[in-house]
Amino acid sequence: MGIRLYQEPPLENPVLVASWPGIGNIGVIAVDSLRDTLGAEEFGELEPYDFFYPKRALIRDRVLECLEFPGSKLHFARTAAEDVILFIGEEQPTEGGRLYAEGRKAYHMANLVLDVADRFRCRRIYTSGAAVALTHHTAESRVWAVPNSAALIREVSAYENTVLMTDIEGRSGQGQITGMNGLLLGAARRRGVDAICLMGEIPVYLQGLPLSYPRASRSVVRVLSRALNVEAGLEKLDEMDRRVQQNIEEFYRQIPGEIRMQLDRLKHTEHDEPSEAGPITEEEEQRIVEGVQRFLKKEGGGA
Amino acid sequence: MASPARVYEDPGLPRSSLVVGWNDDAADLGGSVTSRLVDRLQGREFADIDPQGFFSLSGVSVERDIARFPDSTFYVSRQQELVVLKSDSPHNEWYRFLTCVLDIAEHQCKVAMLYLLGAMISLSAHTTPRQLFAVFSSHEARDDFNPQGIVADMDYQTPPGERPTLNSYLLWAAKERGIPGVSLWVTIPFYLAGARDAQAQKKVLTLLDEKLRLGLGFEDLDGEIRRQNHQLAEARSRFPDVDEYIGRLESNLILTNEERGELLKKVEHCLREGA
Repeated sequence: MGIRLYQEPPLENPVLVASWPGIGNIGVIAVDSLRDTLGAEEFGELEPYDFFYPKRALIRDRVLECLEFPGSKLHFARTAAEDVILFIGEEQPTEGGRLYAEGRKAYHMANLVLDVADRFRCRRIYTSGAAVALTHHTAESRVWAVPNSAALIREVSAYENTVLMTDIEGRSGQGQITGMNGLLLGAARRRGVDAICLMGEIPVYLQGLPLSYPRASRSVVRVLSRALNVEAGLEKLDEMDRRVQQNIEEFYRQIPGEIRMQLDRLKHTEHDEPSEAGPITEEEEQRIVEGVQRFLKKEGGGA
Repeated sequence: MASPARVYEDPGLPRSSLVVGWNDDAADLGGSVTSRLVDRLQGREFADIDPQGFFSLSGVSVERDIARFPDSTFYVSRQQELVVLKSDSPHNEWYRFLTCVLDIAEHQCKVAMLYLLGAMISLSAHTTPRQLFAVFSSHEARDDFNPQGIVADMDYQTPPGERPTLNSYLLWAAKERGIPGVSLWVTIPFYLAGARDAQAQKKVLTLLDEKLRLGLGFEDLDGEIRRQNHQLAEARSRFPDVDEYIGRLESNLILTNEERGELLKKVEHCLREGA
């Protein structure tokens, strides 16, 4: 039980790009957009039984026609510059009611993805997720990049609109990448495979809302398309972004004035220069998050 | 990985039917029906499944003043060629658990038909006859079953945000192995979900009795139904709002969430007092 390949595409040292759902579904939307742009073809999957509870039963005329499980699909595309394998997980394999993957199942899934990478002699792995940041939804999302070896730092630093953890104020190069998007990076390092996680920024006050954040996905796609040397069509993501931004604006207008004023200060946060209003302190960040959470609880929902 | 199943003795069956009931069902439907089957048919324990990995073993739960531990035990009644699994429903590693159940069913018991028991919460009154729904593993299983007393039409699709039941999962896993099966769903009035519903138990047991020719008697169950109906009648006369709410359900009228909560609370209280 493990990997099921429908065909064995002839790929030459491909790059594998993987993502699982997370905050704002940033990584999954980015990789799915890439799949769409490249016209990638499905060629296999990870068998779901060890990882997931079924998601849907279909009963017709008193007969159980089928039971569907969350998918973990493999796609491939051959481009002029690169061969690419795209892995898209519909769910993270969680245990004990946790939100993100951890433990035996998660590590097993990471290793199955690496087995695929190994089988096709992948030269590089990218994963993608969200970076919760002190930024405003009207600002363009940057991409936080974390490689799994020091040798990749130089390359990563050259990516456009990308920052390393050391560039993020107050982080001193430290951080945590939760769930599969991070775990795969670590498991790849153990096998000596180069891997980089690209995380699109999502404003801290949106992290708890049940919405996608395509603005960050778009930033990730831009970085990936440069790294893979492929042309990425961004029209669909632009359209999604317009719609989501409208919803966010509606939500934003309902936030009590006092909290909104604090959030407005994030509009002026410049990453290269100190802002006029001064940077948001850790205490203020805590207050903002708590304020938005209190507001959401009172309203009983989100955008 | 070692099998989590422990088989103490060979059930010695050339073929059999397997009835599966889950202890944590609404109105304890699965637990009660499988207990009755084991008692009446003098079922003998022959196998169980180690809970490790399937349940979060962080302590014990206490229910009705008694410490409980997850339990998954198989019983056999050789004369009736019947196997019963009375089990808590696993919290993790469902596929491995169900594989273990079906390994025992297939290899130790030569199971020819699987009967899965489940409760379906309904917004109807307890005075309304219980309805029985059935989902089959295949068209052949459905046609062979020739279901009488079962609701004729049933199309269903798991709604967004919900997940299929463990019975659907087990039925699917059995189907994958070519073991025919049926998942039986009996309606339970929502205000009896936390108690027991003898009428619902009788509905299911009657069907199993007919299908499997078990020779079950229902005198004790009829007595329980009378007792429960009496307690509910007393609750109606003691609390005018309970009478009003149940009367409205009998007239196919809908109750608000608050009214439902109130009815549930008072009925549970009355049934506990009279227990």
